[in-house]
Amino acid sequence: MSKSLIVKGRPGKVKRGHYLFRLFMAGAGPNSRQALVNLRRLCKEYLNGRYAIETVDVTKDFEAAVRENILVTPALVLVAPGPRVVILGNLSDQPKVLAAIRLSGSES
Amino acid sequence: MPQRCRPIPKVPTQVPGLDEVLEGGLPRGRTTLVSGGPGSGKTVLGLEFLCRGAAAGEPGVFVTFEEGAKAIRRNAMSMGYDLPALEKAGKVAIVEARFDGEEVLSGEFDILGLLSIVGGQARKIRARRIMLDALDVLLRIFGDLRRERNELYRLHEWLVKQGMTSILSVKAHSGEDMASQYEFLEYMADCVIRLDHRVVGQVATRRLRVIKYRGSGFGTNEYPYVIGEHGVILIPVSKTELTHQPLGPKISSGLTRLDAMLDGGYRRASCILIAGTSGTGKTTLASTFARAACHRGQKVLYLNFEESQEAMVAGMCSAGIDLRAALRARKLLVQTALPEALGSDNHLLRALEAIDTFKPDHMIVDAISACVRMGSERAAFDYLMRLVSVVKERGITCILTNQISGMVGGDEELSGIGFSSVVDAVIQLRFVETDEEIGRKLLVVKSRGAAHSNRRQPFIITGQGIQFPGSPPPSGRVRPSGRKGGRK
Repeated sequence: MSKSLIVKGRPGKVKRGHYLFRLFMAGAGPNSRQALVNLRRLCKEYLNGRYAIETVDVTKDFEAAVRENILVTPALVLVAPGPRVVILGNLSDQPKVLAAIRLSGSES
Repeated sequence: MPQRCRPIPKVPTQVPGLDEVLEGGLPRGRTTLVSGGPGSGKTVLGLEFLCRGAAAGEPGVFVTFEEGAKAIRRNAMSMGYDLPALEKAGKVAIVEARFDGEEVLSGEFDILGLLSIVGGQARKIRARRIMLDALDVLLRIFGDLRRERNELYRLHEWLVKQGMTSILSVKAHSGEDMASQYEFLEYMADCVIRLDHRVVGQVATRRLRVIKYRGSGFGTNEYPYVIGEHGVILIPVSKTELTHQPLGPKISSGLTRLDAMLDGGYRRASCILIAGTSGTGKTTLASTFARAACHRGQKVLYLNFEESQEAMVAGMCSAGIDLRAALRARKLLVQTALPEALGSDNHLLRALEAIDTFKPDHMIVDAISACVRMGSERAAFDYLMRLVSVVKERGITCILTNQISGMVGGDEELSGIGFSSVVDAVIQLRFVETDEEIGRKLLVVKSRGAAHSNRRQPFIITGQGIQFPGSPPPSGRVRPSGRKGGRK
């Protein structure tokens, strides 16, 4: 029961230069909500419309968590552009997140 | 002291020996912590718990934090459990909960994802049992103690709420202070079991100990266990209270003259020691009994630590004792092993398995002097004490041969490692040298509760077996004297 905020479809169909994130959350837990807030802020600042965020509530869809081997929440998966990256935690450390998704330095 | 109102509900593990120690099994719907070093058998114990549960109508989830699902399936297969079939039948589910090590950490997180996965799988198969294997690997990702405890607390609460009977396993090195390593886990769990795998005298031994069991009594000793072909088996502990069968009726030793000296023969279910220096005919005397017993239709288990079955059969053949018919008729089972090939626990397990499946009337151990090579005198003593204890409980006659150095000694030297208390009869074989020749003599040193001969009886080993030349010596007899039969 994943809720897509913008696009649906396979990572291969994501437009060149666009980012697809999948955020695994556990219901409305504080860390999970915080992660979504942090991710949205980061996308607005650095990706200006070139992104899509898919959220998965693992308490409702555990099979999705099995598929992606997500054991802790919140967990952010960068689906595209590849290679796949997994970031665990509420994404409070923005520089670290940017580095992980290969965005630091490339954008102002 | 808290009052014990009613016994807490338990789930039998069906692991041989363990339920006796746990006074029934693991606490139902609660958590049990199993800690131990690498190779101590934590995974095997968990697999057994789940597979036996699956057979008993209690499906289970196996969560592995370290090994891959494939390795777990292989492990189970080597114990004779077909995990893929159980998975297909919806009786067992494996959750591979491994981090790939590439994850980036940023900010706080919790294990709700894991609980969702595990909970989802558990619902799917209506699981009643769960094994969390190598929980320490999961804990590593939290880095600090406060978060680790928070998540452990969350996990524990969740497990208890699910009502599943759970085993959590953690790696612990025996050298380190386990108490502080997993103090919090031990505090939370209702039952704590420690497995210890150590090497003593170059031989690996395993010991199990129950540290705590909330609301229940438990055996407080260290219990030796082995991991055999069929999983974990706890070895019966040597009993201090004697629950042995009373000595049975007289049975022939296979030699009329010796029967007469013994006032009718060996006693069934007794323990007979045949002691002598090398070459005096201990194996020959024991084999004489074996052949005679098999000929009567009884079954004999022969544990040989000295030579191969072929060598033994050939040797006895040349002494006129043909064991081949008994072997063919499956009345005689010879189990050979080099003492140093296995630890004493494994030797004991092998013997016990043979006793269980073969169900012998009599057992021969040739020779107990070789058992010291299992590791140490202590290991040999434990092995023999437990083995003799088990066979006595089952009413099996037990003949032990012992090679002695030839120094003149009392019972202690004859029985070698000092367990003459369990020995009911002692026969000493000896070389006697005269000017012309070296001859052999046999003496019944003791025979509990029997008026046995007190004479040294010459005998010869011929191509037709043991023979007693000449007429019987004038009968001197030792009167039965209760527990302390002996020489006068």
